[in-house]
Amino acid sequence: MSMQRRDFLKAGAAGFAVSLAGCAAMPGAAPKARVAVVGGGYGGATAAKYIRMLDPTIEVVLIEPNEAFVSCPISNLVLGGFKSMADITTPYTGLARHGVRVVRDTATAIDLERKQVRLARGDPVGFDRVVVSPGIDFMWEAMPALGSLDAQARLLHAWKAGPQTLQLRRALEAMPDGGVYVLAVPEAPYRCPPGPYERACQVAAYFKAAKGRSKVLLLDANPDVTSKGPLFKRAWSELYKDIIEYRPNSKAVDVDFRASVVKLDFGDVRGDVLNVLPPMKAGNIAAPFITANRRWCEVDWQTYESKAAKGVHVLGDSLQIAPLMPKSATMANGHGKVCAAAIVALINNEPPNPSPTLINTCYSMVSGKHAVHVASVHKYDERDRTMKAVPGSGGVSPAMSEIEGNYTMNWARNIWADTLG
Amino acid sequence: MKARAKVLVAGLAAAVAAIASAQQPAPPPPSFAAPNVSEQGARSMAATCAACHGTGGRSASGSSVPGLAGRPAESTVEAMKAFKDGKREATLMHQIAKAYSDAEIAALAAYFAKQPQ
Repeated sequence: MSMQRRDFLKAGAAGFAVSLAGCAAMPGAAPKARVAVVGGGYGGATAAKYIRMLDPTIEVVLIEPNEAFVSCPISNLVLGGFKSMADITTPYTGLARHGVRVVRDTATAIDLERKQVRLARGDPVGFDRVVVSPGIDFMWEAMPALGSLDAQARLLHAWKAGPQTLQLRRALEAMPDGGVYVLAVPEAPYRCPPGPYERACQVAAYFKAAKGRSKVLLLDANPDVTSKGPLFKRAWSELYKDIIEYRPNSKAVDVDFRASVVKLDFGDVRGDVLNVLPPMKAGNIAAPFITANRRWCEVDWQTYESKAAKGVHVLGDSLQIAPLMPKSATMANGHGKVCAAAIVALINNEPPNPSPTLINTCYSMVSGKHAVHVASVHKYDERDRTMKAVPGSGGVSPAMSEIEGNYTMNWARNIWADTLG
Repeated sequence: MKARAKVLVAGLAAAVAAIASAQQPAPPPPSFAAPNVSEQGARSMAATCAACHGTGGRSASGSSVPGLAGRPAESTVEAMKAFKDGKREATLMHQIAKAYSDAEIAALAAYFAKQPQ
């Protein structure tokens, strides 16, 4: 134990030297290995930071096109008018303090032969191992009207927090009182199972405060609310009666921008603001590693190494989920840490941890103050080589509460600091 | 009318699914890997607490979620066991604590006790 600690101190000192010298020129000692991380979200940024924390002699390059991190969790509160874009934005500068080199560029391909990530603008980034954590992209082909890039850009999804979050907020502000906001939810699995139902609450909270004759129409492709169902339904009836209308088994199959209509299997639904979430799949850069249903990437749950390619690790919402594992921020953050520890072990020729665990804690704000949660703990099952929820653990809130609203914001601050700080 | 027909169809489908699942044998219990309570294992487990309790158990200043770094091991063990046994009220920690054995709780508590505040 004292031995490990001494090694850690030694490694820390080496890391300090690297970070001092790294900016100006190559340090005297060449790094042990280089890991490229594609995507600076909850999965990728966490993996990048934790690799450096665990072994500062490994060089880490994070490739991310956005200037700052904008959180999907809490972004629905921007729609509700309770938070600003600044509140959900965190700079990438914190990662530099850990010696992560952040390259602001778009990864265009992962070249496994040359072991390089190709970039839209800059020189390729070579790697010994690569972490791919691009989140989700949309299956545009699911809706005929979304065939062109123009139509895709016009679709208001706000399911990747950023400019579209603000655009949707402005559309809601511009909507006349008495208007209808339509939110179309795709069949599970999709990013953030409770997200659409939380969004319905947030938009309804805004309508209740600012334009009382307006309606939220929730068109759900699923037969029922996919997460925290009884809790959301109670919030809808107690807080937003006559504002939110929920229609299960209502799958959006197309959209008509000109008529402002969402097309269902049976009939059209007109709305003043359309917020359609097309079906989702692994982020485009991860396409070569998709192995499940032409949508998601399968991995070894001890290392997050892709089942399609050695030396490639996939994290976060791009994954084919294990049973009862949601596509959530806390999960992606957890994937990042298990993967970071495994990569450090593999580079140092040590065995990775044979029994990784994950916790999911997912809060939803049902008003400006009240929240509900779902929590679960997942452990590695040796026989089935997957992560499984631990029987008897986990659960949901008994009811919405202000204290959980308070914990929601504390969760956000701590996970943002854990991912990027 | 159409909506009603769809509701009926959905109800029927749910009923069929319920019957089908009732007839299936119960799935075998999970065969979890032996808990890893080594230093490396404890560090890995502790990392899963950070989303709420902060990196290395150091919660953001002013946070209502307590930090765990530097907290005496006995105190963490006592709290976790009270959550696990339902003796201490919580919003969600009682649901989380039930997933860990006494050995895992002891390893976690020892790890956090050693972390700088």
